[in-house]
Amino acid sequence: MFLLVILFGIYPIIKSIQMSFTASGTSLSSKPEYIFFSNYVSIFKDPYFLDSLRITLLFTIFSVPLNIMVAFLLALILGSPILKKGSVFFKLSVFLPVVVPSMAAAVVWKWLYNVNFGPISAICNYLGLPEFSGLANVHTVLPSLGAVELWKHVGLYTVIFVTNLQLIDKEMYEAAFLEGANYLQRTLLITIPELSPAFKLNIVYATIQFLKTFTVSLVMTQGGPNFASNFVSYYAYSKFKLANYGEATAMGTVLFVLVILISLSAKKILSMERSTRGTI
Amino acid sequence: MKKRILLFLLACVLLHAMSWAGGKSETGKTAGPVTLMVWHDQGEKGVNWFNDLNALYQKTNPGVKIESVTYPTQQWIEKSIAALNTNTAPDIIFNNYERVIKVEDQTNKIFDLSDAYRSLQEKDILSEQDLSVAKYKGKMLIFPIQRVQMAFGVRKSWLANTGKSFPKTWAEMLDLAETFTKGDPDKNGTAGDTFGLALQAANPRDLIHMLDLFTFGTGIRHTIIDPQGNIVINEPRRKEITKAFVALYWNYTARDTINHSFTEMYQIIEGGKAGMFRVGDWNVNKWDRPDVLGGDYVIGPWPQFKTGDKNAVVIGGMRGAAVPANSQKRDAAVKFVQFLLTKEAQELSFKHIGSAVRKDLNLQLSEHQQFFANPKYDLIAYDFPESIHPYYPQIEDMYHKALLKALANRNIDLDALLVETEKQMKDFIASRKK
Repeated sequence: MFLLVILFGIYPIIKSIQMSFTASGTSLSSKPEYIFFSNYVSIFKDPYFLDSLRITLLFTIFSVPLNIMVAFLLALILGSPILKKGSVFFKLSVFLPVVVPSMAAAVVWKWLYNVNFGPISAICNYLGLPEFSGLANVHTVLPSLGAVELWKHVGLYTVIFVTNLQLIDKEMYEAAFLEGANYLQRTLLITIPELSPAFKLNIVYATIQFLKTFTVSLVMTQGGPNFASNFVSYYAYSKFKLANYGEATAMGTVLFVLVILISLSAKKILSMERSTRGTI
Repeated sequence: MKKRILLFLLACVLLHAMSWAGGKSETGKTAGPVTLMVWHDQGEKGVNWFNDLNALYQKTNPGVKIESVTYPTQQWIEKSIAALNTNTAPDIIFNNYERVIKVEDQTNKIFDLSDAYRSLQEKDILSEQDLSVAKYKGKMLIFPIQRVQMAFGVRKSWLANTGKSFPKTWAEMLDLAETFTKGDPDKNGTAGDTFGLALQAANPRDLIHMLDLFTFGTGIRHTIIDPQGNIVINEPRRKEITKAFVALYWNYTARDTINHSFTEMYQIIEGGKAGMFRVGDWNVNKWDRPDVLGGDYVIGPWPQFKTGDKNAVVIGGMRGAAVPANSQKRDAAVKFVQFLLTKEAQELSFKHIGSAVRKDLNLQLSEHQQFFANPKYDLIAYDFPESIHPYYPQIEDMYHKALLKALANRNIDLDALLVETEKQMKDFIASRKK
């Protein structure tokens, strides 16, 4: 197990970081030329990389709360007694996109968004609405990709919420009900605090997920139009395709550090809160 | 704890062994029956081609077997670099010349085929242009096997339906593009559901390649940089073509063409949505099939931009075979590479891939294949800047970014953008020289 972790976990990361300190022209050769931080200097001077960082962070900042909120609402709906009869069907419907291969999902969504032939565009035309430019417009591409990512990932967050909802002691609701608390009060004062671990888990997981957004960019937009969906992962990949191995791995390392820092911060906040709770 | 340290040391030894796998032997001599392994990116048709080559080669070389493996292009590049660097190389690598250059840049382990060329009996098969592409930093890296030709295609039935003829000038092409975009050239009862042209823009190579075709097709060489290293994007004629080219995207292509790469471009062409498109010699076999385009297209040279310009078909690339210096069967591999230029082998190349370098082939060809096999129009060769300027991919990327900006914004000041881009390119080249 220890060996496997080194072989498939640690070794590729170290190798990639090592490559980020080499000149691209020699990165894959047996005698790479070490240029220390030049690749990092170069990428931080590249306005397209800085823009891709901005796009990635912006996308994450908007997508994480949206996904968590929608997942929470879906969990409340799925946990409601009204849906008791068809609960398995509804849960399956919400979770199904999670297991659909990302590539296949992106291809289908790309067709749905097609300006000239896509059904979304056709419906807009039929209803006399303004043209839906979807992936072809720099202003609509990120919300369009955000919707795809929401559809793809919200099921997982919902399942985590639903599972945790079932663990909440029902007597708390009964007591609150007898005290005269309405549904909104019960949700705000019992459900949300009790789901706090699930919220934290989902937020950390979603943040990591959205910082690494790649497939939708690769399949649906190739970073476009005009680099409007050029996420860091995709930009690193396109640098790799141009044989700029040093810069590509430097970008990968920056993203890796960012993900680690955010995960560690979340862990720290989590443990701080636990210890605060312990002292009360 | 001791056990963990031991395991860690074992892992280190294993990893070290991995990175030097394959040993250090650099031999080329072999004896007895041999199997030559070829890596390429030509897919199933490439595998079939090498299977047929194997059968043909075994008639005169019964002790040698040819096997081939196909990889997606990017994987081919990475695997080839890794294999050459770790002395686990295949015997032959086959691909476009610029990809072989990438492998050489990262390994410096491609065998110089100059002597093999000198010992050829039929040297005149290869032109000066072919030879200049084959050489890089003083070495003959590849044996040119397939000259890649690209022409201009128009839907035959759409021409008939609209009463138009094949465009010879840009003005005629624009008129046709207007008719195809706004009319009902496919006679499906709906006007405006088709496009004048199928183009692509998403990747640097895609977009510049398209501009190259229109530029070279009208007889002008060098799109971004000339062989002396001068940036030419603001030279008046080229700038004029660039502006007209950008307008094609704005007015006569699918709205999301800015995100299109090869796959999407082919979907538009093969889905019967575009009236004019690029036709490569390798497209013909597929597009003549009844389930694809059924031969419903006319091929010709690219339209001339101005009176007095050329109408040319563009030689846009060269696929060739290279031999890794650390191939274990190097001599046998070089002999097979020489064989690839024989008439019989070249006929198989044309049969399977649709292109070759010899012009004396005896083949039963379709009308469209005939167009490329016996060109009756002016041929103009791409200038292959990748083999001259090591920094070319970077400046191409800069130009791509500038053009994408223009495609995404109709109100952009293209003149200013091009001036700014030229400055950026020059600064980059100067910093490289430093």
